[in-house]
Amino acid sequence: MIGAKPRRILITGGNSGLGLALAKKLSSRHALLLSGRKSQADVAGTLPTGAGYVVADQSEPALSAEALARGVSDFGWDSLDNAVLNAGIAIAPREGIDSTAAIRQTLDVNLLAAILQAQALFPLLKKSRGTLTLIGSVVHSGSATIPAYAASKAGLHGLARSLRSEWKGQASVQVLHPGSAKTGIHDKAGYDPGRMRSLFLEADDVAAMMASAIAGRRSPVTLSWVRYLNGGAFTGRRL
Amino acid sequence: MSPASRRALVTGGSAGLGAAIVRWLLAREYAVVLLDRDPPQSVDGQVDFIQCDLTSRDALDLVVPGLVGAGPFDLVVLNSGIDVTGRFEDMDAQAHIDLLRVNAEAPMVIAARLMEANAFTPGAAMVFVSSMSHFTGYPGAASYAASQDALAIYARSMRKVARSKGVTITVAFPGPLRTSHAEIHTPPGADASKRMEPDLAASLIMADALAGRKNSIPGARNRLFAAAGRVFPRLVTALMRQLIYQRLGR
Repeated sequence: MIGAKPRRILITGGNSGLGLALAKKLSSRHALLLSGRKSQADVAGTLPTGAGYVVADQSEPALSAEALARGVSDFGWDSLDNAVLNAGIAIAPREGIDSTAAIRQTLDVNLLAAILQAQALFPLLKKSRGTLTLIGSVVHSGSATIPAYAASKAGLHGLARSLRSEWKGQASVQVLHPGSAKTGIHDKAGYDPGRMRSLFLEADDVAAMMASAIAGRRSPVTLSWVRYLNGGAFTGRRL
Repeated sequence: MSPASRRALVTGGSAGLGAAIVRWLLAREYAVVLLDRDPPQSVDGQVDFIQCDLTSRDALDLVVPGLVGAGPFDLVVLNSGIDVTGRFEDMDAQAHIDLLRVNAEAPMVIAARLMEANAFTPGAAMVFVSSMSHFTGYPGAASYAASQDALAIYARSMRKVARSKGVTITVAFPGPLRTSHAEIHTPPGADASKRMEPDLAASLIMADALAGRKNSIPGARNRLFAAAGRVFPRLVTALMRQLIYQRLGR
């Protein structure tokens, strides 16, 4: 909304990919606190000016939740308008069968960390009747290419569906399912999308659709080509 | 193949639905490998018990080679599961962790390692036991629901590689069962007569698995519920809120 007051927004995984694209989109109007695995020194210069940064390694889910809660209070905030739990990893398995380590790391980083972070951030969100946004994926309904990743995103889908009802009247909960975007996630996963990559959406456009979906508070929302071609990146609510 | 040489693996086979599935298999002369935290009650037939607490990653890693070596299996039933209800924000962090470990992570790891090692006979069937919660919001058990959704979608995602090895995957979505596990977690006042006998659920699920069906929702009432959950997600979630969340102790 034009003239709306600035919000306090926390974005996990805000130092790269969709998280960073979203942060850049919102930094001129809102107060941002970003989290990531990298050290403060490694991210200096990549973050939008004015944004705070807290180190929270999600491969240690419980510690990452504590780090976020501490980071918010160290930043001088006593409430949150939005928490966007966006951080995630993908590990492409050989021949469609995930290693034990990959299954555990994927569930820890993508699902368990989000569960424990949601729990830790609830009092802050409740205070301002804020919105918890979980970033899922279009593969939440299954993928033979990345089974454990798909499972972790299905878990987020189910979590949002239940928590949205539990927290009714206290805080909003939603899950957004972005389609493939031109970010570093595929390289990091050890997966080469080849010529398919040219069909992926620009990270900026997905971030724009994320922003309007966050403002709309609906759930679940799929952010793919269908929405894009309907003007999803240019129209809709403004956050 | 003579019946006596058929082998099955059942996780969480010492109580509830798992025990009923073990009874069903033993009655059909399967040799059963049973993994559970607790030893089985009296069993009538050939059972190899493997003790393992699936909340512990180390404990699972210790038994996986033995599980794989106990194959090849004609039937694998990944049934282990725990059920914890409570307000999401008030639950112990450890409860959330254990729910994910036992209900999703452990069966995913076991399935992946069995698949990788080709620990199946040709035409084998694998069953992942998820929950009716997959078809609805489950306020009052949000991380339980998350774990069951993760498991159901992992199972679906593994179908392609399973098919290449001649293995079918069935995802079972049982509704409320008359088990001791349910007695503890269902709120007082819930009507036990509406819950299905585990032996009946077991026979329906096994029939679907042996027929190679993709999904198994035992019981007409449950199939109706699953359909309603998909068509009217908000309405059914609101109903579940009344049934679970509103009855949680304050």
